[in-house]
Amino acid sequence: MIGSAAQFTSNRRAEREAEPAPLALKRQRKQAAVTHESVRNFVLAWPFPLAVLAFWYVAASRGWVAAQVLPSPETVASTFADLFRSGELLANLKISLWRVLGGFAAGALCGLCLGVSMGLSSTFKDYVYPLFKAFAQIPVLGWLPLMMMLVGIDEALKIILISKAALVPIAVNTYKGIQNVPAGYVEVARVFRFTRLQLLQKVIFPAAFPPIWNGIRYGFTHAWLALVVVELLASSEGLGFMIVFGRQLFQLDVVMAAVVMVGIVGFSLDKILALTERRLLGWRRHGF
Amino acid sequence: MAHAGTLTISNLSKQYEVKGEVLPVLKDITLTINPGEFVSIVGSSGCGKSTLLRLLIGLEEDYQGEILLDGGRIVGTSLERGIVFQEHRLFPWLSVEKNIGLGLLNAKVPEEEKRRSIQEHIELVGLSGFETAYPYQLSGGMAQRVAIARALVNRPEILLLDEPFGALDALTRAHLQQELHRIWQQESITMILVTHDVEEAIYLGDKVVVMEPRPGRVRRIVPVALAHPRDRAAYEFVRIKEDVMREFIGQPAEEVIEPPLRAHDAPSDRLPSTFRFAV
Repeated sequence: MIGSAAQFTSNRRAEREAEPAPLALKRQRKQAAVTHESVRNFVLAWPFPLAVLAFWYVAASRGWVAAQVLPSPETVASTFADLFRSGELLANLKISLWRVLGGFAAGALCGLCLGVSMGLSSTFKDYVYPLFKAFAQIPVLGWLPLMMMLVGIDEALKIILISKAALVPIAVNTYKGIQNVPAGYVEVARVFRFTRLQLLQKVIFPAAFPPIWNGIRYGFTHAWLALVVVELLASSEGLGFMIVFGRQLFQLDVVMAAVVMVGIVGFSLDKILALTERRLLGWRRHGF
Repeated sequence: MAHAGTLTISNLSKQYEVKGEVLPVLKDITLTINPGEFVSIVGSSGCGKSTLLRLLIGLEEDYQGEILLDGGRIVGTSLERGIVFQEHRLFPWLSVEKNIGLGLLNAKVPEEEKRRSIQEHIELVGLSGFETAYPYQLSGGMAQRVAIARALVNRPEILLLDEPFGALDALTRAHLQQELHRIWQQESITMILVTHDVEEAIYLGDKVVVMEPRPGRVRRIVPVALAHPRDRAAYEFVRIKEDVMREFIGQPAEEVIEPPLRAHDAPSDRLPSTFRFAV
């Protein structure tokens, strides 16, 4: 009988579905896969930077480029060590970090408020979005002359420009994230008679969190880039200033040391954000 | 647990306005659903069966006619009415138990009781051991079981099911139909199932409401007076299925003699006969 065969198969399936063991097994396998993958990622991350370093080394030692223009890796390393030991590097780093964190915090706060307001109120969005779009199109450098006239070249200038750089991606991603919350989720909330606050807390924000978090990461990268630009143009301290000052004195090893520091710090900060993301967004399954 | 819940739908009509033109979706639906009854609604796509369900749950408003639950007009959503959608609509950032717990967020019962109820419903749908799993770790069938538990955890009077097994494979679907039947008997609540699977409708329903499209109307109501558990291969089952299928697809009857079941059903008599084969 076809009927009983189907019954049998479906019972078998029920057993399979109801058994908790496969899930544990799956988790274990997944964990193994994760460790394997992280080792692989770690290994794969090295060849390219090492090749660049080797090329740099060869280019400097063979004298393909003049030593004044491209100092050798050893020179840069020893300069880096000197600057580190004298405290100059750290002092400048500290100043830069304060600026970037302050600017980023201000920009993130404003960006989140703006994005949430635009996402939740289409009237507000209609008022603000066109102007915001226009505002977002103007790069940090474009604002610099005007801002210099308005607020001078002190800390305020740096904070404002850095926060502007962070604000734009955070506001856009927050707005888009809230706008793209599936209507189906909101209907579930209506069926269970969530209050407006519950809807925001339990549905809108968790559902929009991945794009908002992406915005925060982009915002941070932009803030960091803006910092270097601002310090290059209008500063007497900070890592960006070290780069400009080194170039003016034709001390390219100082320039390179500062560049390396910018790279390391920027990379580490992004890594911290990525780790936080993995903790917060463990429920997501990646497409590939 | 005995539940009240007589649902009376009378002369229900609903239209949308599309580009200034009025598009009737439902027309003159009259239907009574008794407490504890299992009613299946079948129809081809576009016959307004999902809209009907959305009106019953309260996600759509603005209709003519009346929808009464125990004599009171339905306004908006209510914890007395639960729904399972075709897509499970679980929140991917919450574990199974937390997803089910959402159903109790606004229930006025103590925490302790909530926890117990969640655990009971996880057991009811056969998912013990999966409390802390996330939706992405579940198969389609398991996710739909969680959705059923979430809808039932409030102990609603009526459970609406909008093609809940439509996206599942045939074996899982057959299994979940059995499970749904067991849950219906155990909880003794009213269930209304919208589906385009005629066999599913007959397997589960006390009666099968056949709808026809443009605008959505009730074409026939076919009572299914078969004992449970129903055998899909049994003669009676197949006969009802063929009977419904004929209405459903709108093909001319093979038999010239009218099937005896037709005597039960009033709405179809009102239709002009030319309409019957025009679907």
